[in-house]
Amino acid sequence: MRFILRRLGFYLIAFWASITLNFLLPRFMPGDPVSRMFARTQGKMQPEQIEALRKMLGVDTRPLWEQYVDYMHNILTGQMGVSISRFPTPVTEVIASQIGWTLLLGGTALVFAAIIGNLLGILAAWRRGGAIDSALPPLLIFIGSFPYFWLAMGALYLFGVVLGWFPIRHAFTDGLEPAFTWEFIGDVGAHLVLPALTIVLVSIGGWMLGMRNTMIATNAEDYITMAEAKGLRPGRIMLRYAARNAMLPSVTSFGMSLGFVVGGAMLTEVVFAYPGVGYQLLNAVQGLDYPLMQGLFLTITAAVLLANFLVDILYVRLDPRVRSN
Amino acid sequence: MTQPRFLRSARIAAAGLAVGAMLLTGCAATVNKSAGTDAGANANAFLTIPREDMSTFDRNFNPFAPTVNPMVQQAIYEPLMVFNPAKGNTVPWLGASWDAAKDGKSVTFTLREGVKWSDGQPFVADDVAYTFQLQKKLKGGFEYLDSVTPSGTDKVTFTFNKPWSPALYEIGQLPIIPKHIWSSIADPAKDTNANPVGTGPYTQVDSFQSQSFVLKKNPNYWQPDKQKIAGIKMLAMSGNDAANLASVNGDVDWSTQFIPNIEKTFIAKDKDHRHFWFPPTGAMINWQLNTSKAPFNDATVRKALSMAVDRDQVTKIGMSGYATPADCTGLSGNYASWKNADVANNCTWTKLNVDEANKMLDAAGYPKGADGKRTLKDGKPFEFKISVGASSSDWLSVANVISQNLQAIGVTAKVDSPDWASVVSSYEQGTFDTGIVWSANDPSPFKYFSSTMGTSTVKPVGAKATENYHRFGDPKADDLLQQFAAAGDEAAQKQIASQLQAEYNAVAPTVPLFSGPEWGDYTDVHFTGWPTQDNPYATLSDRSPTTVLVLTTLEPRK
Repeated sequence: MRFILRRLGFYLIAFWASITLNFLLPRFMPGDPVSRMFARTQGKMQPEQIEALRKMLGVDTRPLWEQYVDYMHNILTGQMGVSISRFPTPVTEVIASQIGWTLLLGGTALVFAAIIGNLLGILAAWRRGGAIDSALPPLLIFIGSFPYFWLAMGALYLFGVVLGWFPIRHAFTDGLEPAFTWEFIGDVGAHLVLPALTIVLVSIGGWMLGMRNTMIATNAEDYITMAEAKGLRPGRIMLRYAARNAMLPSVTSFGMSLGFVVGGAMLTEVVFAYPGVGYQLLNAVQGLDYPLMQGLFLTITAAVLLANFLVDILYVRLDPRVRSN
Repeated sequence: MTQPRFLRSARIAAAGLAVGAMLLTGCAATVNKSAGTDAGANANAFLTIPREDMSTFDRNFNPFAPTVNPMVQQAIYEPLMVFNPAKGNTVPWLGASWDAAKDGKSVTFTLREGVKWSDGQPFVADDVAYTFQLQKKLKGGFEYLDSVTPSGTDKVTFTFNKPWSPALYEIGQLPIIPKHIWSSIADPAKDTNANPVGTGPYTQVDSFQSQSFVLKKNPNYWQPDKQKIAGIKMLAMSGNDAANLASVNGDVDWSTQFIPNIEKTFIAKDKDHRHFWFPPTGAMINWQLNTSKAPFNDATVRKALSMAVDRDQVTKIGMSGYATPADCTGLSGNYASWKNADVANNCTWTKLNVDEANKMLDAAGYPKGADGKRTLKDGKPFEFKISVGASSSDWLSVANVISQNLQAIGVTAKVDSPDWASVVSSYEQGTFDTGIVWSANDPSPFKYFSSTMGTSTVKPVGAKATENYHRFGDPKADDLLQQFAAAGDEAAQKQIASQLQAEYNAVAPTVPLFSGPEWGDYTDVHFTGWPTQDNPYATLSDRSPTTVLVLTTLEPRK
């Protein structure tokens, strides 16, 4: 219990530090939202409009510390304000309308990559020097080090355009009404395959190598030899003795990745025109949309910290050493 | 044993994620129950257009929003008149006719009869007056406007606090909103106007999703015989690549994002039906030299640098050959009808002439050293930066071409390409050396010249400028601009514009490079009647005032 409380304290401080950075960093960028907007129209707006726009958008011109006090207050009370680049849509609404797709895409890709990658890692380490162990790691690392953009475009062109197996854009067919019907769920699934597949392809190598390397170390432990001497079935030794003990680092990185899923997969969204918060974040940064940026960063920060905290708790369950310490 | 269980729980988790995502995204979408049913059947009946710059749409049809949804000012709300830069003509729209006072201090519009809002209410002069009242209150601007007075239901008079002839187009092209709707909205700036009421041809929002939406016919449109297409379908795309793929794949009818090597990548797939047209009606793209700094405060230097630039190479390499090189009037193809032929036919400093440029710099006191590099008058090397935003790959190569060209006259120009934000910030503060910059592109060249060489637009270095970044003011141009503003009729304005061009030619406030092309391509598989070079009734832009002209001309292929 003391362990969890101590971790909780640490997370509170980390949370405060990161939301303070979220506040400060955007404000160190040159310019302000209105002049960005103005420059983007390339002379189509009248200069006299700047003041009026500033008033309409509620651009804050008070000293930084006053804004900071307000900002902290708003965060603690859950008010994120109105987005500037998508005025007058509230930040919460902008995020809420996109985050579902982000979670679906990132979550699916992460779960598949982690499971398949770990299983491959287990098998590779178990049959060291076998077919999987010698062929897959170099191949997956090779694929993983491709520029993602290139890989995604290639997959989109081959499977979407040339072969026509999968749809080439958006999260579901335009004009279809979201509903809990098999037709719609199937449609969403079909649209999910290519974007998720490309993410899985580039990230799976990391999972596999990580698992393989820890597992090789675990395989050399005495208790494995002991289990073998007892005549246990090899499958049982592999999964319950070796893999189970080698899983800890994978759990940690799974937790970390889970948190970052919330940040969206910007490049995937760009290539597959998949709705999500990644591109939104890029737009917010480019347009100096402080409220939206803060909202998105806050969501990401909170998700990363929360995921880590959950992993910490899970560790207590998984690793007896943490409990006794 | 463990393995299948593990997989099963993963599958459940994935399903849970899918359901959660649909709960989150689906709730906004259930407003229109009628959609979906017929959308599949009529898929080809909608004019389909991608928006490469919007990754998702919000259901926000407020015309006052700083970032307006596509088609709001093109298909839902309409202006009093439409200026068509492709032909240089003005098409009366909600205003049937107008009369500008001789003293340039007022203009009276007579409104079209029989126009109705999409909810069936008649369109009246009060709506026009209210629109300007609200526009001034919410978004400012129009500071020259003294009053907007409706008389009866079909006449409205705008009076100005000074002679201000450029007002005509600014007033005429503002989309008009209905007073009976907006006067009852408590906070018009923050209203999302989810079901807009307008006079335009396509006003009924349908199947709204964050990735696409449809606008269907206005049931009360004033030109019912011109609503030949069933509706407009907009697709959200995050970036050019996704939009280009849609165009190349034939999934969209009309697009305006830049397609590299368009003949090969787009046209060649279906030569009979696919076409593009890039009229030079975009803004003049200038190489702006910060005239608050030496040596750019010297007109001879500006002209010499301009003569070292190979504009053919600039347009060929930088703009894939689709842009038209500039001449010394400084006016883009948008102002073709304003051009002074005398000036345009006798250009010197906008033509490549390296020898002459070298001679001019020698004579002006910028000597070439033994290493072939020039020095400034204070002995420092003749070196400066060309700033361009990193994301504009076309303009970056323009800057690179210029930098190479300048080596021939012993001048070192380094291309500096941080994020656009910091580039623009250096423009605004006046701290930049030189940069590739857009310019004003209105129906009349008044604003172009006032922001290029009017003293009133010059801000001191350090104070934030939003136009005239290069900080050049010319009292002689001020005089002419004042006369232009006061000139009541267009013939007089044209005469003054000619003098302005001569002055521009004399002082070279900027280095004009090329007329920006108005990108546009289409496929006529589903719809015909597109504007072309032979029938330039509009440009192929899908986000300018002329768009409504295209929307009311297209018809389904028979």
